[in-house]
Amino acid sequence: MFLSSLIDGIATGSLYALIALGPSLIYGLLRVLDIANAAGLTLGAYVGLKVWRATGSLALGIVAGIAASAVFGLGLQRLLYRPILNRGPLIPLIASIGTFIAMEEAFRLVFGPYPFAFPAKLGLPTLRFGHTVITGVHLVILIVGLLVLGLTWFALRRTRLGLYWRATSQDMATAEAMGINTRGVVAAIFVIGYALAAVSGILLGINYNTVYPTMGDIPAYKMLAIIVLGGLGNPLGTIAAAMLIGLVETFVVMYAGYVLPRDAIAFIVLIVILLARPQGLLGRSRKAA
Amino acid sequence: MKGESLLSVSGLGAGYGKIQVLRDVSLEVAEGEFTAIVGANGAGKTTLLTCLMGLLRPTAGSATFRGRSLFDLSAHRRVELGIGYIPEGRRVFAELSVEENLRVTATRRPRGAAAGEREVLERIYGHFPRLAERRNQAAGSLSGGEQQMLAFGRALALEPSVLIADEISLGLAPIVVDRLFELLGELHRAGTTIILAEQNARLALEAAQTAYVLEAGRVILRGPARELGADPKVVDAYLQHL
Ligand SMILES: Nc1ncnc2c1ncn2[C@@H]1O[C@H](COP(=O)(O)OP(=O)(O)O)[C@@H](O)[C@H]1O
Ligand SMILES: [Mg+2]
Repeated sequence: MFLSSLIDGIATGSLYALIALGPSLIYGLLRVLDIANAAGLTLGAYVGLKVWRATGSLALGIVAGIAASAVFGLGLQRLLYRPILNRGPLIPLIASIGTFIAMEEAFRLVFGPYPFAFPAKLGLPTLRFGHTVITGVHLVILIVGLLVLGLTWFALRRTRLGLYWRATSQDMATAEAMGINTRGVVAAIFVIGYALAAVSGILLGINYNTVYPTMGDIPAYKMLAIIVLGGLGNPLGTIAAAMLIGLVETFVVMYAGYVLPRDAIAFIVLIVILLARPQGLLGRSRKAA
Repeated sequence: MKGESLLSVSGLGAGYGKIQVLRDVSLEVAEGEFTAIVGANGAGKTTLLTCLMGLLRPTAGSATFRGRSLFDLSAHRRVELGIGYIPEGRRVFAELSVEENLRVTATRRPRGAAAGEREVLERIYGHFPRLAERRNQAAGSLSGGEQQMLAFGRALALEPSVLIADEISLGLAPIVVDRLFELLGELHRAGTTIILAEQNARLALEAAQTAYVLEAGRVILRGPARELGADPKVVDAYLQHL
């Protein structure tokens, strides 16, 4: 039982990390909470589902979902965020929330208000050892999640884009004056952030076997809690916070599920931790620029 | 020593919002020349340099750099042309290590650069052994003097042909200031073009060949640095209190 819950918790945490990583990287650069990222998640799920239905190939569905979401994200960055970024933090946030809601209405109009099933086979068997059961879907989430998170860590620490992301997120003007194409970095991060959203959306759709217009709601607010919890603009903190929330949720539901609705837990953890560490798990108090 | 015209600025105007700071500033810098820009605090030195770097959009005027129009280029494209920059207040990337700070610029050199990345970093550690000792430390944990060395080294890691430096002496111990000016002299002798803004006019006028005196956003004097350093008007206005 315990081991099953542990693995469940880590799988849930990896999924949350996938969901929150893009907005965390974007926040680091632009200081905007990219709520609309959750619309990329839903878009990726719908496109992935449709293309999988049409072609029978899940790989093709995933690629198409990633592409659609990345194009959407890049468009948002160019057409929505770029023109209003210098208007203070509130306006981009409201614009982002507005976009998210508008996209949900668009999904309703285009795909209809009813949920679709997403019974794709991920090709991994359910594992059983003793009392421990891991479903194939969870196994895939676990593997994809940990893989992407490992790659992210590697990319941030060991690649040029990672170095440039860190420099740009600390001081965009100086980064630009040191030769970094900061617009290019922002564009690359939107592509990556929305690609991750699409992968999360497809995994969520398959995991719960459903895709529907408002499926981004819960990811949107959990991602918020996780980003704040991890320390704003700190991707490694985001990953740690996602794991923590995934584990706490799984164990609380396991042992006290009747007292606490699962989706409230993220915020309870958030409140408790922020009382002790206002800067978040791995955040540092931000110096004035 | 003087070569072809490298940078030519004419009629430059700039400001912040409704506040006009620079008015009709013109500047000629020859290849390999060491130019000082002096003037009191608030005269507009930093504003001028940020316009040259592309961090502030001018409201008037034009500039050519090696015959190319400069003001159309974003800052990172100017860096690609070989312009290194030491910003006022150091502006090191506090959460990156010393070495990562250097790698930011070392990786922005043109692809065909003769020296490898490692070689460039080692050269900078040779100039600043303190940085070598602290290469894995976060830049934010360095002392002010060490941060200024890092800001200097970060510009050098680009192997720039032109170095734009803003107030490198501010708030530093004399021994560090001496070391930095010595290095400017070495770079200059090796052919680097240098544009240096300094409130410490005495130092700047001793080191440079040509100087501009800015006052309230206008160039009020220009000439050979040593002559300006001996000009009673300049001495009265800028050198007496130092
Ligand atoms: N970011 C800014 N916003 C508004 N005014 C500024 C800003 N930066 C500088 N100024 C003003 O522009 C004038 C010139 O400043 P600056 O170029 O920094 O002079 P210097 O470098 O010679 O000390 C000053 O009056 C200063 O107050
Ligand atoms: Mg200044």
